[in-house]
Amino acid sequence: MNSKLTQFAGALVQPIVAVLLALLIGALAIFLVGGSVMETYAEMWKGAFGSFYFVTNTLSRATPIILVGLGTALAFRAGFFNLGAEGQMILGGLCAAITALYVPGPGWYKLVLALISGIVAGGIWSAFAGWMDAKFRMNLLITTLLLNYIASLFAGYLVAYPLKDTTGSAAMAQTKMIDQSAWLPKLFQGMSLHAGFLIALAGAILLFLFMKYTVSGYETRMLGNNPLFAAYGGVQRGKLMFYSMLASGGFAGLAGAVEVLGTQYRYLDGSLSTPGYAWSGIMATLLAGSHPLGTAFAALLLAALQTGGMGVERNTEVPLEIASVIQATLILFVSAKLSYSFLKRRKARAQSGTIS
Amino acid sequence: MLLSMENITKAYGPVKANTDIGFTLNKGEIHALVGENGAGKTTLMRILYGMEKPTSGTIRIRGVEQHFATPADAIKSGIGMVHQHFMLFPSFTVAENIVIGREPRSGMGFNRKAAIAEVEALSRQYGMPVDPRKKTSACSLGVQQRVEILKVLHQGADIIILDEPTGVLTPLEVKELLVAIKRLAAQGKSFIIISHKLQEIMDVADRITVLRDGRVTGVVEAKDTDVEQISRLMVGRDLVDMPRTAPEPGEAVLEVKSLTVPGDKGKPLVNEVSFGVRSGEIVGIAGISGNGQSELIGAISGLVDIGSGQVLLAGKDVTGTPVRKIRELGLAHIPEDRYQWGAAKDATVVENGVMGHARREQRYGMLRGRSIRSMVEDWVKRFEIKTGSLDTKAQFLSGGNLQKLIVARELAQGTPFLIAAEPTRGVDVGAMEIIHGELIKKRNEKGAILLVSSELTEILKLSDRILVINEGRIVGELSAEEATEERISLLMAGGKQA
Repeated sequence: MNSKLTQFAGALVQPIVAVLLALLIGALAIFLVGGSVMETYAEMWKGAFGSFYFVTNTLSRATPIILVGLGTALAFRAGFFNLGAEGQMILGGLCAAITALYVPGPGWYKLVLALISGIVAGGIWSAFAGWMDAKFRMNLLITTLLLNYIASLFAGYLVAYPLKDTTGSAAMAQTKMIDQSAWLPKLFQGMSLHAGFLIALAGAILLFLFMKYTVSGYETRMLGNNPLFAAYGGVQRGKLMFYSMLASGGFAGLAGAVEVLGTQYRYLDGSLSTPGYAWSGIMATLLAGSHPLGTAFAALLLAALQTGGMGVERNTEVPLEIASVIQATLILFVSAKLSYSFLKRRKARAQSGTIS
Repeated sequence: MLLSMENITKAYGPVKANTDIGFTLNKGEIHALVGENGAGKTTLMRILYGMEKPTSGTIRIRGVEQHFATPADAIKSGIGMVHQHFMLFPSFTVAENIVIGREPRSGMGFNRKAAIAEVEALSRQYGMPVDPRKKTSACSLGVQQRVEILKVLHQGADIIILDEPTGVLTPLEVKELLVAIKRLAAQGKSFIIISHKLQEIMDVADRITVLRDGRVTGVVEAKDTDVEQISRLMVGRDLVDMPRTAPEPGEAVLEVKSLTVPGDKGKPLVNEVSFGVRSGEIVGIAGISGNGQSELIGAISGLVDIGSGQVLLAGKDVTGTPVRKIRELGLAHIPEDRYQWGAAKDATVVENGVMGHARREQRYGMLRGRSIRSMVEDWVKRFEIKTGSLDTKAQFLSGGNLQKLIVARELAQGTPFLIAAEPTRGVDVGAMEIIHGELIKKRNEKGAILLVSSELTEILKLSDRILVINEGRIVGELSAEEATEERISLLMAGGKQA
């Protein structure tokens, strides 16, 4: 138990060091643009956690990031690259909006169906890339990335023409507004935080339990760890790949659905891609080394950085982009960890290679 | 005295890898260093080669005290090391690999002609023929080893450390290497050889130092000792061979009929192979590695696509069946490469142990954690697997201990049929004894075992029948009684059955 604790603490040291270094570089950047470092960081903290309103705001922003991160983490754990979270999220959000708008029935029924349709849409989009890998040996890295453009432009077309909301005065590329009965309920009166956050937390815990305690989770991890070992032991790669890509895309689709049903109440072109939820989610996964609970935590951290950055922009002369600088350096330092552990492994291998 | 290492102690935190070790080497001497996995041989050599600093102790070369900070320092003092895994650039020529780091120049450029001339002179001087213009990747492993030794000689080494030099060589190449080592020793070079193969050590070494648990347990002249004494010093007790009874083969468990696995270049890797394994017998497949054994094992276990032919397991046709199904029908498999196929390095001991058992050790899709842990704990005790804990990552286990874990896992599958491919490769004598004993036990309990090994002694010790494979074909079958090392060697090398 004790060794587990130290192991866990050991796993935390690197990310914490990375965060501190990133804040240091951020301080340098703030200094260079002529801002006061302490004041800027104080504003950043206030913007993220300064009051109950800002805390809920941060949590609300974290919601889609957590879900996307979980999906990416699942795929990474199985040894597959899913960089298509953005497209999967957009299709999930779009399908959720269409379902909630056009399926008849009571509100809760529409809501549940819309969430499911979001998961299915994202899942299918991602599994499609998996299928192309299995069938035509097309590299997942490339297909998942490029499918983003198809999804985003296709959704843009739909809301600009056939599904365009013509009722309002604003000539925006967006669907009609979903009926209030099918909205995800807000957790607190007057705050932006909605029930999607609880879904995301439950997702993180479920994924953690799944990976750790189930046979399929075990097989998924082994497949990611050493595909040959998995094949040798009778793990069916094709099947697992299909299901893990399906689930991975499902999480991203759910992220889109939750955002549409809890915050936007319609699909608005660009509303899911402009804030960069999908890429933040992938970064959260990288930060946490694909650990489900760690991913949720990292997502929260990134969301806080972003909402904090907005606070900085509102109240100081320092531009919003300072948050991006910190975020980017953070990722750099985390990738330094990757290569660092890679080096260690090579060293270990060289040692075991000569042990006789 | 050329080299003396005195009172060498190396501690990693509380763990002592070397305790108060003394080691000497004379000019022209071949000195073997033997011991089980983790006995401290490698640590000692890493200290000598400047890769590790000793916690205490001194190194003297020709009486002068030395402090090596890096291998470069050691090389300057005339120490060279040939690693177990060759460190050559496969796409470079032999000459380029040999002169690397001290290339002859012409102005700013690399003088290829001079390099070739140097290598030719070196190769003549020491009687180790190589073609300097050939690409290294086109050379056999035996030649690559020669290149490694020439590289070390080119660096001006007087003391040459060879780490497991014969591990990957064919029997003929081993003979050539041993002859070359003796010739170099006669020319005044000194050798330190780390090896598991006691018979080879006895053939080539002048003196033998035995380590156990980081301490010297004996320094003996080769002519005054025998393999039994050395093993005793290594293990600390007498080794007992599992008594073997006459085989009582039952019905066929595995049948392979005209099995062919196509290769890339038109030539099949496995060519019309037919044989059977019955319950209660061990069938050994002898052959130089790379003659189709890996593909044959792959085809039987479902990992490699079959061109034509048939594989029957327990009477059922399993040709082209997925691995999981074949395993469910009764196959267990000790793979030939434990790191590539047999384990996941970043996964824990328990996670590595549960592969193949997961489908049984579950309830409603959930792993039965407690029963799995007690199962693996049981193996750790029975096979004396040295591991920090059940949650230690596999990469921190020594090769022999990981191998024992894999053997334990596969034996515990309790299947009627077992493939044991190189079950004791790179494993020390103590672990070998345990693994061999368990294989014989399984056979006595009516198991059918297909043993694939490039180690002739292992084949001869365990097999009830021996098949010899050469270039993808079974070229001969011998019963345990008629098999001798000479007859098998001849067949392995592609000769006619005597």
